[in-house]
Amino acid sequence: MNRTFLLQQVLNGLAIGSVYAIFALGYTLIFSVLRIINFTHGAIFTIGAYATYALTGSQFGINGLLAGAALPFRLPFVLALLGGSIVAALAGVIVERLAFRPLRARGADPLLTLVSSLGVAVALVNITQYLFGAEPYSYPDPLQGLPSAVNFGTAAAPVLVRTVQVVIFGVSMVMLVLLTYLMNATRTGKALRAVAEDMTTSSLLGIDTDRLVLLTFVISGFLGGVTGTLIGLSVGVAGPYFGIAFGLKGLAVIVLGGLGDIPGAVVGGLIIGLAEAFVPAQYIAYREAVPFALLFVVLLVRPQGLLGRAQVQKV
Amino acid sequence: MASFLATYDFLLVAVLALTLYLPLMAGQLSVASPGFYALGGYIAAIMSTKIFPPGPGLYPVSLVLLEMAVAAVVSGVLGLAVGVPALRLRGIFLALATIAFVQILGVVALNLDVTGGAIGIFGIPQPFSSAIQYMWLAVPLLVVSMLFVARLERTRTGRALVALREDELAAAAMGINPTYHKVLAFTTSAMLAGAVGAVSAHFINTWNSRQGTFDTSVNLMAFVLVGGSRTFVGPVVGGLVLTALPEALRGIAGVDVLPAWLAAFLRDGRLIIFGILIAIGTVFFPHGLITPGLLRRLGRRGARPG
Repeated sequence: MNRTFLLQQVLNGLAIGSVYAIFALGYTLIFSVLRIINFTHGAIFTIGAYATYALTGSQFGINGLLAGAALPFRLPFVLALLGGSIVAALAGVIVERLAFRPLRARGADPLLTLVSSLGVAVALVNITQYLFGAEPYSYPDPLQGLPSAVNFGTAAAPVLVRTVQVVIFGVSMVMLVLLTYLMNATRTGKALRAVAEDMTTSSLLGIDTDRLVLLTFVISGFLGGVTGTLIGLSVGVAGPYFGIAFGLKGLAVIVLGGLGDIPGAVVGGLIIGLAEAFVPAQYIAYREAVPFALLFVVLLVRPQGLLGRAQVQKV
Repeated sequence: MASFLATYDFLLVAVLALTLYLPLMAGQLSVASPGFYALGGYIAAIMSTKIFPPGPGLYPVSLVLLEMAVAAVVSGVLGLAVGVPALRLRGIFLALATIAFVQILGVVALNLDVTGGAIGIFGIPQPFSSAIQYMWLAVPLLVVSMLFVARLERTRTGRALVALREDELAAAAMGINPTYHKVLAFTTSAMLAGAVGAVSAHFINTWNSRQGTFDTSVNLMAFVLVGGSRTFVGPVVGGLVLTALPEALRGIAGVDVLPAWLAAFLRDGRLIIFGILIAIGTVFFPHGLITPGLLRRLGRRGARPG
């Protein structure tokens, strides 16, 4: 394995890993506050990708109920990305109201909440499929005019990384910085961390926990929407189910990093991205199994995740 | 009615719902059974197309039974191998591990030569001359598994499982070995799922990596949670009704009783309805529609004369 190849794979791995990381942060934020895994995250990813597609003014295919439909205006890609992610954030709000709040009000078993969110996820993905069909879509190329790849090596030993990869890495980093700022340097972030630490106590201290839970879903939905669009930009929108598949991969990331652990989600995302990038070419067909194999092994060996602390079982 | 029964494998689906119910008896949400179902199907498909090459005429039913037995044993061994480490996990972690298990099996099935890769295995020989005759396999399989689970609920082992569901710590303190009982339920469920897969492979006639995926897991969860997760009657009724209902409604849709858009929705939007049912069910009927209490009331009413 020479150095150029190594650098090439590291860069590819970091680019995809950064997207895994911000996607997984959506799971992690909700888990840290509510101690539940929000299975709708993958469906929200799908909704974000489709909303962005619609906002670019592109036309839908022939299989759905809205066959051939298109919005009467076209937004530039950056605005469409923002708008699509806002739509995803709104979807997150609806999900919280419909699937999580009623169960929280009843103090239901977390396992039941997991199942309920799975139900909502399946419904959302299939509604998307019903409306827009199952065909793959790709965005009108927003990077026109730019070279298709950036050379990180020398002219003699080129290390070419697709421009798209550079863009998605950049956007992911921006999201990560914004989120870090929000969590660590603002009053809202402090309140969020307090709610994650202990919901009852923070509500006694005058924090409006319901509002903050809603905010968590907004941020998480926004992150899901951004990821949906970024992945759609990189490999195309492969039908509504691509969110479910991606959502399951995201589970591997959060378990690897430790459930509810924010730095852990970032580390987990990067590790899974790199692990996928380093699958040897002859076993490339098995790449899709890598995150799940890691998930399985980590659960058996270190269920608290790489950075997590073991939970003490209280009696 | 006959054509309707012949086109749908809802009896097999009801057995599959029981395979999700078995670990759930002990409070373990495992969605691994689609994986074992897929494995059983591949075993039957490979045995019937490669090991016993189909001769002229119908495929012998005895060989189907043999395939079911092999599928059950192999699934049981794999279930044991996966279950012993995985069932130390509980709650969400077990659910995640079994999701990962199903995904890994799916990728492996998609890429091995022996499973036919993406195309899968087709032309699986038929043991019967018409689809309706699959009843000869499906009905006994359903009845036997129902009787088995019904008996299990009344034995020491079954009560131990329920005790684990209610409070694992207290059950362990009473001398119930949690790991042993959970692995037992998981392995039994795996064996049953494997056997169902073997029959399904013949019934569907072709088997590929789209059988027994995460979708199946979601469907089975809908059957168990809507039907009822506290008595074996729940999953069976849930499985029968939720698979037969769309078909029945489709029949109605054909005779112009329903408006066209609704008919189209019932045809294509089945998973939308399932998803919503799962979500509503967990909020309003956390134990499902059919509960042991309901069965007792029905039993009393039946026993009273007049």
